[in-house]
Amino acid sequence: MLRARELSKRYRQGEAEITALDGFSYDFPPGATAVVGPSGSGKTTLLNLLAGFDRPTAGEVELAGVRIDTLDEDGRAGVRLAHAGFVFQSWNLLPTLTALENVAFPLLLAGVSRLERDRRARGLLERVGLASRADHRPNQLSGGEQQRVAIARALALEPTVLFADEPTGNLDSAAGARVLDLLLEHASGERRLVIVTHDLDIASRAERVLHLRDGRLVRVEDDAAI
Amino acid sequence: MELLVLVWRNLTARLTRSLFTWLGIAVATASMVLFLSFGEGLRQALAAEMGNMGPQIRVVAQGTDAFSPPLPELPPEMLGQIEALAPELGIQKVIPAVVMFRGGFDPATSFLFYGLPEGADPRDFYPPARVAAGRIDPHPDGAVVGAKKAELNHLTLGKPLRLSREVTVPVVGVLEPAGSMVDSFIFVPMKTLQKVLGTRNYGVFLLQLDPSADVEEVARKLEAAIPGIDAQSTTEALKFAERALRIGDLIRFGISLVALVVGGLLVANTVMMSVYERTREFGVMRAIGARRRFIFGLVLSEALFLALAGGLAGVLAGILGSAAINLYTQQAVGLALSAVTPRLALFSMAIALVLGLAAGLLPARNASRIPVTEALGRI
Ligand SMILES: Nc1ncnc2c1ncn2[C@@H]1O[C@H](COP(=O)(O)OP(=O)(O)OP(=O)(O)O)[C@@H](O)[C@H]1O
Ligand SMILES: [Mg+2]
Repeated sequence: MLRARELSKRYRQGEAEITALDGFSYDFPPGATAVVGPSGSGKTTLLNLLAGFDRPTAGEVELAGVRIDTLDEDGRAGVRLAHAGFVFQSWNLLPTLTALENVAFPLLLAGVSRLERDRRARGLLERVGLASRADHRPNQLSGGEQQRVAIARALALEPTVLFADEPTGNLDSAAGARVLDLLLEHASGERRLVIVTHDLDIASRAERVLHLRDGRLVRVEDDAAI
Repeated sequence: MELLVLVWRNLTARLTRSLFTWLGIAVATASMVLFLSFGEGLRQALAAEMGNMGPQIRVVAQGTDAFSPPLPELPPEMLGQIEALAPELGIQKVIPAVVMFRGGFDPATSFLFYGLPEGADPRDFYPPARVAAGRIDPHPDGAVVGAKKAELNHLTLGKPLRLSREVTVPVVGVLEPAGSMVDSFIFVPMKTLQKVLGTRNYGVFLLQLDPSADVEEVARKLEAAIPGIDAQSTTEALKFAERALRIGDLIRFGISLVALVVGGLLVANTVMMSVYERTREFGVMRAIGARRRFIFGLVLSEALFLALAGGLAGVLAGILGSAAINLYTQQAVGLALSAVTPRLALFSMAIALVLGLAAGLLPARNASRIPVTEALGRI
């Protein structure tokens, strides 16, 4: 489950105070949810709060049944490891590790044994069509391949929620389509995908679209409504 | 185990920098090992020397320290005084001797002459002494030369040895190498040396005691009975030497500490830079779910790994350097002056590790404290 209640984030900059997110409430249903809005509308801020990268100034976040807004950094890291995966726009991978090692990294943190890690990471790479690139370093992979490795890694511990912030922002349409398919593939059953995007075509493939403006949730488009 | 792989990957990803840092620590550690190896070497040499020493008490004029050659300041009557006390104190034998030093920074130009009385030969001074050529007794008018001295100055049997303008004696014996100070000595008859020095005095009395005698007590009684003398027992001399060595160790450690601190700063700099460059990486790790301790441990391990690898290389280099030094000093003075004992090696490793720890703590703390969103940057 993923739920936000009256979520606000304010940044102080000298004297001025910026309200990046303002009273956001939403109960994310299973499936894919897209978040759209103009630049600076608070999309990344929202994702940071939902994934527990940051703490809200006010409000509550519940991720997989845990109130993460009250947890400390390490507590949130624990919840994240167990229940959430993420894909950023770029620079997702650890540059000194191979594709396989990158995918195995969350498994390492979770204490999975070496052999088992290897086996599972290979399976995940196969799922994203990169079995042949297992031993490549990130700088030996194309942007689209890097994103697919990042997806494989995000899926390693079978999270209930997948967060993606402009995951196709740096890719051409063919590579982007492939990445998007992989992400949507995961958003089935009880699992959730929250995807931030500028691209309305991508947003239209989600079951619902949240519109942000100036940190406020101004509109929710539902499949039913479209 | 897994952490080590990550550490290794990161250090090899910035290979040149890591290598230079490693080299810096290695040099710092090696210099400390070498500095301190002298103290250890002297300690070992002294212990061996004292263990082989025949006489158990050395009587010298008051104010003579344990390591400089005693001047001829003991009047001839004193020999009678000591001999009179001998039966009562358990002194078996009293050997008067005169010492003359001609130096010389270079071992080849410094000469240490020992004048022994008639009836005494180098074995009274150093029981294991064996003659390699000629005879062991310099009397009545020859010189018996230690192995190292003979080799350095090409002193073979029959060669003349000039003690002064007027006095020249032939080499009548060459000793076998003993791995002791004796290797650098030249033994001559005491009368000859007294003539050279223009004195009838003695420089030192070497006393051999009954095995049952209490060395310290005899020394104290002698000093009480005869004013103006120092009676130094071998154990006392060892204690004195140990104190001097300790002070030397401290000074040498102080000097090498400078090098070590520089090494520590190198590690701190390397790790700090690498932490700074990897901010985003740590952000990604944290985003995945790594706890702060993980990042802390990762960075600290890097510093420790560098320090450990550098320390190990440094100790190895120190051992090699010490061997090289010994090769020289053995040739020059017949003694191994430098020793890398296990305790010195361990101590040096420990110092390197402590420095690594100190150098790694701050970067590790910084790395683990960056807020995740900040580490990730604006996405
Ligand atoms: N760390 C910060 N300190 C101060 N202000 C911030 C910080 N992070 C975000 N902001 C501000 O908060 C607002 C929302 O930023 P956010 O990054 O969430 O926008 P966004 O919708 O993701 O934009 P984009 O589409 O360009 O990525 C912006 O005005 C931004 O300048
Ligand atoms: Mg953004």
